[in-house]
Amino acid sequence: MADRRDDIRLRFWGVRGSIPCPGPETVKYGGNTACLELRFGEEERLIIIDAGSGIRELGNYLMKHDLPKGAIKTKIYLTHTHWDHIMGFPFFTPNFIPGSEIDIYGPVSYEDDTLDKIVGGQLSYRYFPIRQSELAAKIQYFNLKEGSFDLGDDLWVTTKFLNHPILVLGYRFQYRGKVICTAYDTEPFRNVFAQSPDSPGYDEEAVREGELAAQEENEKVLQFLSGADVLIHDSQYTQAEYLASRLGWGHSSFEYAINSACKAGVKKLLLFHHDPLRSDQELDDLHEKYNSIVEGRTDLEVEIAREGMEVEI
Amino acid sequence: MEKEKAIKIIENYISRMPSMPTTVAKVLKICNDPQTSPVDLNQVISLDPVLMGKVMRLINSAYYSLPNQITSLVRAIIMLGLNTVKNLALSTAVLGSLGKGSDFQALNMEGFWRHSICVGVTAKLIAKHRRVDAKLCDEYFMAGLLHDLGKIPLNNRFADLYVRAIAVTDREHLPLYQAEEKALGLNHEEAGKLIVESWKLGRNIIDVVSFHHNQESYAGDNCELVSTVNVANYFANTYEIGFSGDRYPGQLAPAVMGDLGIDWDFLEGLEDSVNGEIEKAQIFLQVAD
Repeated sequence: MADRRDDIRLRFWGVRGSIPCPGPETVKYGGNTACLELRFGEEERLIIIDAGSGIRELGNYLMKHDLPKGAIKTKIYLTHTHWDHIMGFPFFTPNFIPGSEIDIYGPVSYEDDTLDKIVGGQLSYRYFPIRQSELAAKIQYFNLKEGSFDLGDDLWVTTKFLNHPILVLGYRFQYRGKVICTAYDTEPFRNVFAQSPDSPGYDEEAVREGELAAQEENEKVLQFLSGADVLIHDSQYTQAEYLASRLGWGHSSFEYAINSACKAGVKKLLLFHHDPLRSDQELDDLHEKYNSIVEGRTDLEVEIAREGMEVEI
Repeated sequence: MEKEKAIKIIENYISRMPSMPTTVAKVLKICNDPQTSPVDLNQVISLDPVLMGKVMRLINSAYYSLPNQITSLVRAIIMLGLNTVKNLALSTAVLGSLGKGSDFQALNMEGFWRHSICVGVTAKLIAKHRRVDAKLCDEYFMAGLLHDLGKIPLNNRFADLYVRAIAVTDREHLPLYQAEEKALGLNHEEAGKLIVESWKLGRNIIDVVSFHHNQESYAGDNCELVSTVNVANYFANTYEIGFSGDRYPGQLAPAVMGDLGIDWDFLEGLEDSVNGEIEKAQIFLQVAD
């Protein structure tokens, strides 16, 4: 058996953005929304990123694979609290098992609300037949900000705010010299104050400051991704779709994700958060198209994330 | 009133300080538009000391691990995103506004608003004249806009006593901050300091709010900024552009203008520009019924 002491293993349980979209068009890449399983070292320490609809299947897997070895203890890192990233949480079976310990981390956009209320609030009679207080697991919530955190056993996580209509955290997990990063849901920062000089209220200083701010923020994101072995990046749209009508929606294009990965010196890019309208055939075609552009020009390896896909670092 | 009790009341009030009546209708209009214009949002926030303070508080909060204090509203909006800023503006606007009339309050909020804008605009014009780096000019505007924040809780939470304080300035020809101390046990510099410290707005703004009447006792690093706002405030009171309750402000220390390299003739020359800016702001804030 191979030495797995320093390995990071990743498995996708949901790769879709916005809403689950099962059907004949999404069989290959999958229809579940965001959920990633990370395993560290030979202990197979479990970290979960996001609780989209994919977490239901992950929960079932954990019941078979992990529970026989002992109670399930894990941390779930939510990139943000939009529905497609939290909707699977009530269906995560370990929640119902005595002895489970689940720590949930994530950013909270508006200070009056707590993560407990936003995520756990889905477990109230209004939405679901079981209340959060009736769950057997010990569940704790932690409001997360930007920073670097020691998770023990050589595992570190660094967080960075990205650009989405609410606060979103990118995660950078570092383990024994290996790095895996997430950058979703996000779009490039842009100068929302860009105006032509003849528009009413033109403010030259605001235009200049806005340009500088956007550039600097994008640069900070690149630094955050820098040198990652694996990067999972938002690519909900093509650049043409993005520019035509999706500016400000908080998602990136394939082109932007690939360029960012190249600039940041990433080794392997996994394109993620597929638009619900994107069929298997379209994703295959896009994969071929972008690979043919990238091939021979960079060492970057580009893949399209697929439900069930496993990556080992 | 006991000072400690007044401080407690102010501290409780800080988190629910509402917007200016002059801006609230425009805030609602801009933020309820699904196609919110970032330019309009930027403008309306920069015309409201409470909103401006709250946005700066959010961007400089412990959420972001920022190496430096952010002092530009443009940058704050790009970093926080339109939705977050809109949400903050709306949640502040729905707290109600500070009241238009002067029936129960010593300070008319319309006059207070004009005064705050005047001091902000004047401070920025002085900075530009002195060739301060263009990037820092917004900081001068913000410092001027926020310098009298402390009067908001005094005027709204201690209305009767504040009426008395203003009567004392009129009767005894005292600067307002001294009359406030007599009536309330603390002045608007101290009240303002509680607010901007609680909002963690940065040393520069805290210094301006805390020392704009007592510059001689100031020994910090933001001397130019404090002096500039001090002069802009004196100009606003003397020319009665807006009204902030200070009919008898103390004299400026003679060296202040000289240190800034400006004179009274220069300030006089600003009157039209300042009034022009305020008029533009008023037109912008008008909301058709």
